[in-house]
Parts: sequence; structure tokens; C-alpha cells
Amino acid sequence: MSAYLQVTGLNKNFGGLQALRDCSFGIAQGRITCLVGPNGAGKTTIFNAITGFLRPDTGHVEFQGASLDGKTPQQIVRHGIARTFQNLRLFADLTARANVLAGMQDHVGEEPLTAIFRPFHTARALTARRQVALAVLDHVGLADRADALVRNLSYGEQKLLCIARILATGAELLLLDEPTSGLSGAALSDVMALLRRLQAEGKTLLVVEHNTRVVQQIADDVLFLHQGHLMAQGSPQEIIASPELAEIYFGGAI
Amino acid sequence: MDFLYTYIVLAEIYVLLGLSTNLLVGIVGIFSVSQAAVFGVGAYIVAFLLMHTPVPFIAAIPIAALLCIGLNILVTLPSLRVSGDYFVVTSFGIQLLATAVFTNWTGGTGGANGLPGVPAPIILGHEFIEPMEFMALTSIGMGLGCLGFWLIMRAPFGALLRAIREDELAVAALGKSVLRAKVGAAALAGAFAGSAGGLYATFLSFVDPSSFDLDASIFLLTMVVVGGARTLAGSVLGPFVLLALPQILALIDIPTSIAAAARQLIYGLLLIVFMLFRPQGLLGEKL
Repeated sequence: MSAYLQVTGLNKNFGGLQALRDCSFGIAQGRITCLVGPNGAGKTTIFNAITGFLRPDTGHVEFQGASLDGKTPQQIVRHGIARTFQNLRLFADLTARANVLAGMQDHVGEEPLTAIFRPFHTARALTARRQVALAVLDHVGLADRADALVRNLSYGEQKLLCIARILATGAELLLLDEPTSGLSGAALSDVMALLRRLQAEGKTLLVVEHNTRVVQQIADDVLFLHQGHLMAQGSPQEIIASPELAEIYFGGAI
Repeated sequence: MDFLYTYIVLAEIYVLLGLSTNLLVGIVGIFSVSQAAVFGVGAYIVAFLLMHTPVPFIAAIPIAALLCIGLNILVTLPSLRVSGDYFVVTSFGIQLLATAVFTNWTGGTGGANGLPGVPAPIILGHEFIEPMEFMALTSIGMGLGCLGFWLIMRAPFGALLRAIREDELAVAALGKSVLRAKVGAAALAGAFAGSAGGLYATFLSFVDPSSFDLDASIFLLTMVVVGGARTLAGSVLGPFVLLALPQILALIDIPTSIAAAARQLIYGLLLIVFMLFRPQGLLGEKL
């Protein structure tokens, strides 16, 4: 059985630093897979390679049987894969709703000719789209913040908005780069509840996660990455129970 | 009264040009200092067509606009490879290159002496010579420009351009083509600048390189900074305020040689003072 997303033999060298070395793994549809490993293990590099931001030296990425090799980030979004960034990269001077609208595909009036020569068509379509954007915001619990500027949102709200923005692209496979980092208490449980809800709705999630408690609670599968190579793959219990992996992860401190 | 109409006509032409600069610099964040060069190409093309071919004014302006669309796309494309500060340097080079061509290609541009005797526009047999009449043409030009700018800004295209200014990488991650959006913005800015050039050439009936040099590009930036970046109101206000300055200086009884230098001095000071103390300009947003 071929995996939903299959990564095969990825290598990436940054001027002598081997960021990825013969990295291969597959993830299954409809599951939450957590990508864990110590800092510098290559987790974000993997994301960049899958989403077309980085061309691997060698290796292949396949999604639902179709090759993604050499595709641009735009084309990969069209395939149904979208990613968030560790440093959020929200449009800070735009409203929450405008950020979600920016994620939606095939806008009427997103190029100058339609915008100028079919203004009424553009305006009508935009009114409808704004409602859809509001529904997406509602889905992540930010409906009441729709017209707030991003820089006025709390960090937790910004984290949720990152997910809303890629949901708006219509992607089926969501790559989330540390969606819970820096969060605690209610904000943390909000994000975890949202991830489970997305899974229940049929989305597939690949999540970079540092917090082992979060991994235990949300992950179906865990990929353990070390020095750009897949060290282990298994259930959260298996991975966390392994003394060898704990040694690598925590540097032998425990 | 001609004095007043001349001021309005020139201000309206500069509004069109300011919209072009504001679109690139203010909205997309492509810090171009070569918009005066595109303005100049529009002016020379219209001058050439009216002086040496039977092409009428009403066709010459769209031709100039089309050619300037192509030109502006070409000179803006380096912004895809070099961003931010580095593009300023590239754009600076483009401006110097254009000035060199305007000044030295004597066969086409008349060189430093310029091209005198550009015919006035004739539409439906009527010749627009008087500033008051010409004001009708520039008002239409400015009106169309403002309408276009306004429609863009309220459409998803405007939102996309603002998003690109904030974070190109995030825009790409959302499945949008940064290239296509930048080409679209550059095309629009080129059409505005080219049409403005054509109106300028036919109004003054004379074109020479000094109107399209680096000083002119910086004058344009000053208009955007003083008026206010990223808003229609700012783009309209800037040229009217800055072009009023020389008129006010003219009321003070000082020799013209000093007045010209004083003007440059004031523009420079305005640019510095606004960037330091009011970066959002009179009616705009922070650049």
C-alpha cells in the first residue's frame, strides 16, 4: 500500500552541513503524524522540501501517487498541501479576515483586468467570499476577531489564525510547524482541540511538535528525526518509551 | 487665471504619475526610483507620434501607455530577484541609463535641447491649447487613474499586493503567484506613467531630459511621502501641495536662479522631515 504522502531518499546539503540524509517516510491519510527530534534535526527542512520552498539535492516526494518533484510552492498548494511557519508569517497590517481571504484560491478580481473592468462582479464575489472567510474564522474560534488587525491579536489567536489561513486554501494535508510552541493553558488546549477537530473532519496533519505531552495526546504516529535521518517511526508510546531516543532528544539529561 | 489652470493641469498630470509611484512603492513595496524614466518614455513617444506620424492624439496616448506597460514590467522584474534596498540600487541604474539615452540620442529625443513644437491635442477637430481646455483632458486622465486605483484597492488584487509587501514567502505558501501579481502592478503603473507622459508632452509642447531625470523621480517619491503612501487621497493631495510650493516661492520676490535651488532644498527638507516625523504623510499610511 502506498502512503498518502511518501518521502523517499531526501538529501540536502547546505555547504557541508548535511541537513537531510537519505530521509524516507510515509504518512497515512486521515491521521495526525507528529514529527519530532532535537533542534537542527531537519524538521523544518523537511517541510520546506515537501512544500517546494527548497529543492532537495536528491530524493522524491509523492502525494496521492503524484510526484511533487520540482513543483513550485503555488503548484503544491494546488495539489492540496499547505503549511504554516514556525515564525507565523501572518500579514500583520491586515485584518484577521483579510489574512484568511488571502489564503482562499481563485478569487474573482485577483488580477487587475477583472478588478478594473468587472467591478460589480468583483464586489459581489468578494461579499460572498467574506462570508466564507468568516465561517473559516468561526471554525477556529476567531469569528469575533474577524476585523481586528493581526498585530492586535494575542499570540494564541495568531497561532489559530495561521491554521485558519491554510484551511482557507482548501488543502487536505496540513503541515503545521510548531502550532503549540509558546502556548500554555487555555490557548494550548484550544489549538489541540482544533487539531483533533480537523482530523475528525478528514484532514491529514503532519505536525512538528516539541512538547512530548502534546505528542502523546494528539499523535497517531510519530516520526523521530535525528541529524536529517529518520531514526524511528511508531506510536507515541513506543517512541517515548525508547531510552535510546530519549537520550538523543534530551541529551542524556534524564 | 491661466496661472491657476496651468497649476491644476500639471498637478493632475502628477497625480496620475503619483498613483503609479504609490502603487509600486507604497502598496507593493517595490522601491522604484525610476518612475520618471517611464514617464519620460511616454512623453517622448507621444511627442514623436504627433510630430512625425499621422497618428492622432487619441491613439497616441494608448500607444504610449501600452509601450510603457511593457517597459515598466521589464524594469520592475529585477525586483523578483533583488528585493528591498538592493532593488533601489538597480532602479537607480535604470534611471541613470534612461537619462543617458534621453540626453544623448539626439536623433530621437533631440538630446539635451529636447523636442520643441509638440502639437497640441486635437480631438474631434477641436484643438486643446488653452490651459482651461486642457484641464478637461487631464481631469479625465486623473479621474480614470483614480477610479482604476480605487477599484484595484478594494478588489482582492489590492489585498494580494498589500500581502506581497508584507511577506512574499507567505503569499507563495498560500498558492499565489508573486510574479503574476507584480507584473500586473507594474503594468498598471506603466500605463499610468505613460499616459501622464503623453499629457505632459502635449501640454508643455516641449519635452527635454530634465523633466525625467533622477531629480524628477525623487520629486515623485516626495509627493508620495508628503501626500501619504497607499491611499488615494494621499496620492491626490501630494502633487497639489508640492506643485503649489514653487508658486508660493514665485510670490516672494527672489531671483529665479535662487528660487530653483530653494525649491530643491525645500523638497529635500520635506522628504527628510516627513520620513522622520510623519512617515504616513498628510493623508496616508506609514511607508
